[in-house]
Amino acid sequence: MAEPKHWYLICYDIRCQKRWRKAYKLLGGYGERVQYSIFRCWLSQRSREKLRWQLEQILTAEDELLFVRLSEQCVRGLSVYNREDAWSPQGEGYRII
Amino acid sequence: MTSVITPTTETKTIRVSALHALAYCSRLFYLEEVEELYTQDAAVFAGRRLHAELEKQEGEEWEDLYLESKELGLRGRVDALRTRDGQTIPYEHKRGRSHRDQNKQPQAWDSDRAQILAYCYLIESALGITVTEGRIRYHADNVLIHVPFDDEGRNTVKEAIKRANQLRVSPSRPPVTENERLCQRCSLAPVCLPEEARLAHNKEWEPIRLFPKDEEREVIHVLEPGTAVGRTGEQLKITRRGQSPEKIPVQQVGQLVLHSFSQISTQALHFCARQQVGVHFISGGGRYVGSFDTRQGSIQRRLGQYRALSNPEQCLALAKQLVKCRGQGQRKFLMRGRRGLKDVSAKLETVIKQMKALLKQVEKAQSLETLLGLEGNLASLYFSGLPCLIAREVPSSLRFSKRTRRPPEDRFNALLSFGYSLLIKDVTNAILAVGLEPALGFYHQPRSQAPPLALDLMEIFRVPLVDLIVIGSINRKQWEVEADFEVRGTQVWLSQSGREKFVGLYEHRKQESWKHPATGYSLTYRRLIELEVRLLEKEWLGEGGLFGQLNVR
Repeated sequence: MAEPKHWYLICYDIRCQKRWRKAYKLLGGYGERVQYSIFRCWLSQRSREKLRWQLEQILTAEDELLFVRLSEQCVRGLSVYNREDAWSPQGEGYRII
Repeated sequence: MTSVITPTTETKTIRVSALHALAYCSRLFYLEEVEELYTQDAAVFAGRRLHAELEKQEGEEWEDLYLESKELGLRGRVDALRTRDGQTIPYEHKRGRSHRDQNKQPQAWDSDRAQILAYCYLIESALGITVTEGRIRYHADNVLIHVPFDDEGRNTVKEAIKRANQLRVSPSRPPVTENERLCQRCSLAPVCLPEEARLAHNKEWEPIRLFPKDEEREVIHVLEPGTAVGRTGEQLKITRRGQSPEKIPVQQVGQLVLHSFSQISTQALHFCARQQVGVHFISGGGRYVGSFDTRQGSIQRRLGQYRALSNPEQCLALAKQLVKCRGQGQRKFLMRGRRGLKDVSAKLETVIKQMKALLKQVEKAQSLETLLGLEGNLASLYFSGLPCLIAREVPSSLRFSKRTRRPPEDRFNALLSFGYSLLIKDVTNAILAVGLEPALGFYHQPRSQAPPLALDLMEIFRVPLVDLIVIGSINRKQWEVEADFEVRGTQVWLSQSGREKFVGLYEHRKQESWKHPATGYSLTYRRLIELEVRLLEKEWLGEGGLFGQLNVR
């Protein structure tokens, strides 16, 4: 199945340094940090559920977690009403270093 | 031999969840259990979370039992056993909706029913208690369905176990399911390629694409010598000399290509293996050195390949298809180049004519030797016609007269050689990802320079992915004659800046999408390489006829 993917904003508030560290590392594997406690990830439904499961393993009830899915329209509009560097465009599919 | 000895085989028990897959589709069961291609789809993770949440909510005693019954041949984890009125009842929680029958009454889905019955039987057999029913709760529409467990249910489970055991020893994949709606929700569709299999049996079938259009993950080329690739957390860390490290989330990386002498740490290698990131090495001169091979198990597919490719007739048929595909591609490319020229040289016309005559003979070839001869003739014709496609204003230093390899003797050949080594890297990556054996091909004979199957498959892509961008970029005057090349005596290599430019051109070309002539849907060249490997495998799985059909438009 060609799985459709979307941009997600993932926001968290974590009450304990140790758990925060683990969650921060995990999220780093899925996407870029946009601001403090906000990541953006390009996920399919499958990877979203996987990430959510892995995060739930780390977090406890006192922490906060919010996934926000952005529609294509949302993402298109971002550059219009934001600073220039607020949302970097998607990669080219390859990098040369 | 008069007496037949039946060895007492200790068969492994079957997981209850595998019976769930079997009830869904027998081919899915085969791919998961025999070919060991197990992917977890979204529902699996969501279901796990549901279980975890239920545990927190209900606060009741949950028994977490791992049960195995040798006599039944079943094993499984029963995680929701409840005792109601002295009866032990297994519960199964599902996140989705229940099935609705004609009267809109909620019913259990067949595969879920099979699963709960198996749990009932497993508990009975392992714990020695009587179970009269199992219950399934569908959380999306919040219904509880009682599934009575009686002799009929026991027989159903026994039948399923019997079928599962038969399938486990069968050497070939079961056919694709009749109900194509099952495939759209199946997580293994890109591996099983059910639509393409249906097309192979029925030419009128119009496949819908279940194969992803594009590869989402990036290819990282590390070209600068002295760069170090390491791992930090869940990210790959790339450190260049005198610069701050660059971090890339591993989920966004599909391949890591290390050119010349850049370093990679063992930690990063282990990490890439676990995350299924292909790691490839290319020498400073642009020669493909090798790849990090992390295929585990799944020997079944390679056994199929050995069986098929040790049959000379099968090899000859495939090789014919390949030589035809490549020859036609070359000829079409020359013809396409002819369109853009103001005055067509007589030489090009003759070459195109002669190639047509040779292509006719390919069909009649009786042996690989004949084919090799024909292919050699086709190639030399093609390379004699190729210089005619170079625009007139291009300086002589970028022109070429004949193909020279190891070492390339002019700039044009240096470009071709570097392009082909990038291509063989990509083809090898696809072969390893699919799980076939690159060292056993059907046309190229084993030699030391590169894995034969990769060389075979590469033939299809030489023209559209390399020749085309070399001619195109030369005609567009994108090359600096001095800065992009290093001339050492008679040998010509690409310089650092030249390599960067070429990798950019090549990767850009791979992103272009086009319509696959055999299947009728469009996808990018990046994905196409993997699709072609899978279609090749289909040739010996009895679903052939789609391999090697692509040509330059």
